[in-house]
Amino acid sequence: MWPSCWVWRGDLMREISVEHLARVEGHGSIEVVLEGDEVKRAFLRIYEGPRFFERILIGRRYYEVPDITARICSICPDPHQVVSSRAIEKAMGVRVDRQVEVLRELQLISDVIHSHALHLFFLALPDFLGYEDAVSMAGKYPETVKLALKVKRAGNAIKETITGRTVHGVVTKPGGYTRVPRSEELERLARQLEESIDGAREAVRVFSSLEMPSFARRSNLYMAVDPGEAYGYSGDYVLVSDGGRYPVERYMELTNETTVGHSSAKHSSYKGRSFMTGALARLLLNRSRLYGEAREAYGKLEGKIDDANPFSNNLAQAIELLYSVERAVDLINSLLDEGLKDELMVEVSPRAGKGIAAVEAPRGLLYHHYRLDDDGRVIFANIVTPTAQNAANIDDHIRTAVGNLRGLGDEELRFKLEMLVRAYDPCISCSVHLVRLRRE
Amino acid sequence: MEKPRAGFYSLTGCQGEYLTILGMEDQLLDLLGLVEIVEFKLASSVELPGKVDIAFVEGSVTTKKDLEYLEEIRRKSKILVAIGDCAVWGGIQASTSGTDWRDLMRSVYGTDENLYGFLGEHKGLSEVVQVDYELQGCPIEGREFAELLIDLVREVRPVLPDYPVCVECKVREIPCLIVERGLPCLGPVTVAGCDARCPSYNTACIGCRGPLRDEANVSGELEVLLKKGYDRKTVLDLMSMFGARYKDVAKLLGLEG
Repeated sequence: MWPSCWVWRGDLMREISVEHLARVEGHGSIEVVLEGDEVKRAFLRIYEGPRFFERILIGRRYYEVPDITARICSICPDPHQVVSSRAIEKAMGVRVDRQVEVLRELQLISDVIHSHALHLFFLALPDFLGYEDAVSMAGKYPETVKLALKVKRAGNAIKETITGRTVHGVVTKPGGYTRVPRSEELERLARQLEESIDGAREAVRVFSSLEMPSFARRSNLYMAVDPGEAYGYSGDYVLVSDGGRYPVERYMELTNETTVGHSSAKHSSYKGRSFMTGALARLLLNRSRLYGEAREAYGKLEGKIDDANPFSNNLAQAIELLYSVERAVDLINSLLDEGLKDELMVEVSPRAGKGIAAVEAPRGLLYHHYRLDDDGRVIFANIVTPTAQNAANIDDHIRTAVGNLRGLGDEELRFKLEMLVRAYDPCISCSVHLVRLRRE
Repeated sequence: MEKPRAGFYSLTGCQGEYLTILGMEDQLLDLLGLVEIVEFKLASSVELPGKVDIAFVEGSVTTKKDLEYLEEIRRKSKILVAIGDCAVWGGIQASTSGTDWRDLMRSVYGTDENLYGFLGEHKGLSEVVQVDYELQGCPIEGREFAELLIDLVREVRPVLPDYPVCVECKVREIPCLIVERGLPCLGPVTVAGCDARCPSYNTACIGCRGPLRDEANVSGELEVLLKKGYDRKTVLDLMSMFGARYKDVAKLLGLEG
């Protein structure tokens, strides 16, 4: 007689993979192995080619760094530019004035607006409405797509006005900006933003009316930067949902990377647990700092935002989109009220030092850490991106989802898992240069 | 008339070309409506088999997978367009050209093992397959892409700039950053098309559109900047950021005879 496991093993062993994730930035796949009811392996594999950014930076002069780090990513070049400028200023003991700080906040916001609009309407929504992409969706939902394009356009307009380009802006340097926008440009921009706010409202309307799948619910630990008084995207401290608050200089304790058996990527953990960073984490940790229409929207939708459900990230992005448009208008008006100074950049005299800074990229916490020599050349660089920090949490959610959905057929399961990974809005190009492959 | 079938493919890079295209919100639907999209992973789940009339390929040839994918795209495509600096010159990652791959792996991944099927260096497409058109830039200019796409759809031979950024700077009457301000501007050796963006924003050209193929006089530029007081390493660092695989830059870097 055959041992029963021999007979059944073939039938029960199931391998499912999504070869190339569509509507996700970069190259990744999902791989799952089920044995009977047991989830043997379930993870997001990243197979983007290596680009060696930390190495490219070595020996480079400090002023080249933001131009280089921008190239890590095209969806979020601005957070990379802002955070590298800040880290270098810290290393060299340089302080920039309020105007630069405000312009930088606008730069971070520009990325949130364009990236959230892109993600919500173009990458995520087609799944919920049953389309392959937004272009085909436009036939049935022309108004929604039109509004989406308009608000996304407004985010890119901030980039063009402040940084000179929608992808890899050209003026952000340690010490400030090589060109300050003119008042007329900012006035025009404020009008454009005001006119685009319907797109953000549409995001809130659409995503609060969709039924969010609950197949991946699993309790979460989360982290976001402490933005200070108003809801925002940079700061010197990091908040953790267990009540912790850490100076960014202690980022190694927060991102602590370890190799795990089931996955090919090194994973971040905090006190031994995976955690989530991104829109949902920011909203939950900093909701009391929201104001305006976004605060009202949050008040109405509070019951729908489930901290254990990664799909709530979409709703959090929609509220952030609304907030960011309002906030951008306020910041521009404050600059105009105070009067723009066509100031030169702060003089930076090269000196040796070490600097660590953090900002919120659309997908979550982003840390840059540099050491510079006496000539201002980089001798050490470490970059920790949000997707790398989220990687362990994504895997945990995939495992939970597979456990809950194992009765489904391959095709449907594949689709659901793809949708789940998309809810995190991963940015694989960013994550790759520090993902350390496990020896296999 | 039947629409041409177009594919948008990615190798190793940041997908900045496609983000630039998706950033052309006002023209996007009209532009993409000119073709039948057979693949555009960043924006769509569509995957149609068969021949492709126009293949846009961005990213550098960095891994074995990139190479196989590119060869397959070449086989099934009528016109292949390298789009963006990564696809034309290998991108910013090609600035590590000449460094032993083990050294690269060690410094970033802490291992001597060849992970990811890394080919040892990052190449532009034309080093590997026959390329019909090159759209330069890190990232490309949306306007240039639109013009190229329209030309290809109409079966008109596209005209791409064959002069340096300096020409556009002069047209815009921007005082020369090298002569007037002594800045290390790469405008003289960089292909035009950006309307002298960086000089117009008060900052020197960093060469992100790549060298003007076969024309850029990089040793002349080096000489000028040495005279302005810049040291050789600083100038070569600048030139290698987007042009390390241009033959004359490679020569200056000591990478080939």
